[in-house]
Amino acid sequence: MTAVIAASNLSKWYGNVLGLNDVSLEIEAGITGLLGPNGAGKSTFMKLITGQMKPAIGTVTVRGIKTWNNPGVFREIGFCPEQDVFYDELTGWQFLTGLLRFYGYAKSEIRDRADRALDIVDLSKDKDRLIRGYSRGMRQRIKFAQAIAHDPGILILDEPLSGLDPLGKRKLIRLVKEFKSQGRTVLVSSHVLPEIEALTSRIVLIHQGKILAQGDIPFIRELIEAHPHQISVRSSEPRTLAARFVGDPSIQKMTFGPDGRTLIVETHKRDDFFGRLTGVVLEAGIEVEEITSPDDNLQAVFEYLVGK
Amino acid sequence: MTAAASFRQVLGFFAFLGRKTGKTRVFAILGLMPVALAVIVRVVLHGRAGLMAAVFTDILMVFFLQFYIVILALFYGTSVTAEEVENRTLSYLLTRPLPKPAIVLGKYAAYTLLMFAMVSLSLALSYFIMNAARLTDPALYLTFLGYLGVLGLGILAYTAFFTFLGTLLKRAIIVGLVFGFGWENVIQYFPGSTQRFSVVHYLKSLLPYRPMSGGGKGVALLLFRLEPTAPLAAVLMLAVITAALLALACWIFRTKEYLTED
Repeated sequence: MTAVIAASNLSKWYGNVLGLNDVSLEIEAGITGLLGPNGAGKSTFMKLITGQMKPAIGTVTVRGIKTWNNPGVFREIGFCPEQDVFYDELTGWQFLTGLLRFYGYAKSEIRDRADRALDIVDLSKDKDRLIRGYSRGMRQRIKFAQAIAHDPGILILDEPLSGLDPLGKRKLIRLVKEFKSQGRTVLVSSHVLPEIEALTSRIVLIHQGKILAQGDIPFIRELIEAHPHQISVRSSEPRTLAARFVGDPSIQKMTFGPDGRTLIVETHKRDDFFGRLTGVVLEAGIEVEEITSPDDNLQAVFEYLVGK
Repeated sequence: MTAAASFRQVLGFFAFLGRKTGKTRVFAILGLMPVALAVIVRVVLHGRAGLMAAVFTDILMVFFLQFYIVILALFYGTSVTAEEVENRTLSYLLTRPLPKPAIVLGKYAAYTLLMFAMVSLSLALSYFIMNAARLTDPALYLTFLGYLGVLGLGILAYTAFFTFLGTLLKRAIIVGLVFGFGWENVIQYFPGSTQRFSVVHYLKSLLPYRPMSGGGKGVALLLFRLEPTAPLAAVLMLAVITAALLALACWIFRTKEYLTED
């Protein structure tokens, strides 16, 4: 397949700080997830792709065209920035139609496109409200709408799921998948593996400005499972729960939290543990209040990959 | 889309957006100050037309020429690029099929139109309130248009300068304040050709010299030592300043990277 987005020996510095280090990458049609912790260089990479920054070394092209100072290429690209910022004095409708003017469409087409985009993101009813009055989820969706309203072939989404509630995430994931099903290209960044997992199996791991690995989800999962994973389960009967897991081969260590109600489990096999946990909870009739993963496992994988 | 069409679209968007900002409301209210003053003067100096004309010249010189258009141009001019960087909305513009100069020039044009509207309204109200007794005199309207033209040229030149500063510097407002209320206020009183290094010199050269009765008072002080440039040369100079600074601003915006604080 031909690369839609291609980076070759791409590097970028912010003064003395290295933002991106010798990145060579080809992104094809479909959804590609760019996964890395905060400050890994995801946003820098996306800003270089979208021509907001100039490469210090190397090149980045979209369909073979360099993006820096080449505005024509943005008819093909839709960009959804990470920042929760807008022209707050505008309503959702004014924001969308205002930005659509910049493509040179006739007034009627601007209205049609804005209507369609608002309909896709379920904001038609709220289009005349000021954006500053929108909820976080609505703001994320109007940001997505401005990225798709001109019907681009390539969509660049910088942390689009950040700050959304589970329902909001589900909606946005559905929209991105629909976009992909039309044969288009989506590059989406996140620092949360399950978010990327929900969108695609094709991921690129980025850390400290370098591409550490590329592959599908099972490959990344294997890397993650090579590291102990901490899971915290808060319930009314943590000791009963612990007793049920004694002898379970998927578990390496169990401790109790300082509140006396939390069981902290360390495991190499996260999925196996979750599979058993559901059964144990149902069998024993234990009421589980909360399940969390207190450590950042992605960080552990990154540290392993860079040899720390 | 052609560069001209891009320019028009940016102008339209920011003319609309500019009207809705809190900044515009504040400056529009500020523009009511000379109107209020005009009402007071009209009541106090009722029947003394000559004195009222002199007071209006003071208002024109002190408020409009040396304060209102400078402060407006400073805040709107520097914001052409700085507000996009500070508010982190620049990515919405940079990822559209717009030539970068069209963004700068479109916003510049939108904001100068907005400022011109505010200045025109304020000037018209204060001028006609103070000259209410002469409303049938055609010369009154010609003089008004002359004043408005000078202020318009001032808006264009000052905004171009502050737009240039905004594209170049991160803290353009501070440098702009020093220029607008320091350099411009001082250098215009220097004798010889030094005063030609200020924008206000060319604006004042276009205004009729009208010393107040009693000499050395009021506006006469501000016109003291003015060695005017010929009107045509003054207009040409203002046009050159405006065009050169806008060209520089466009070039800087095209080549510079603007890093937002993510």
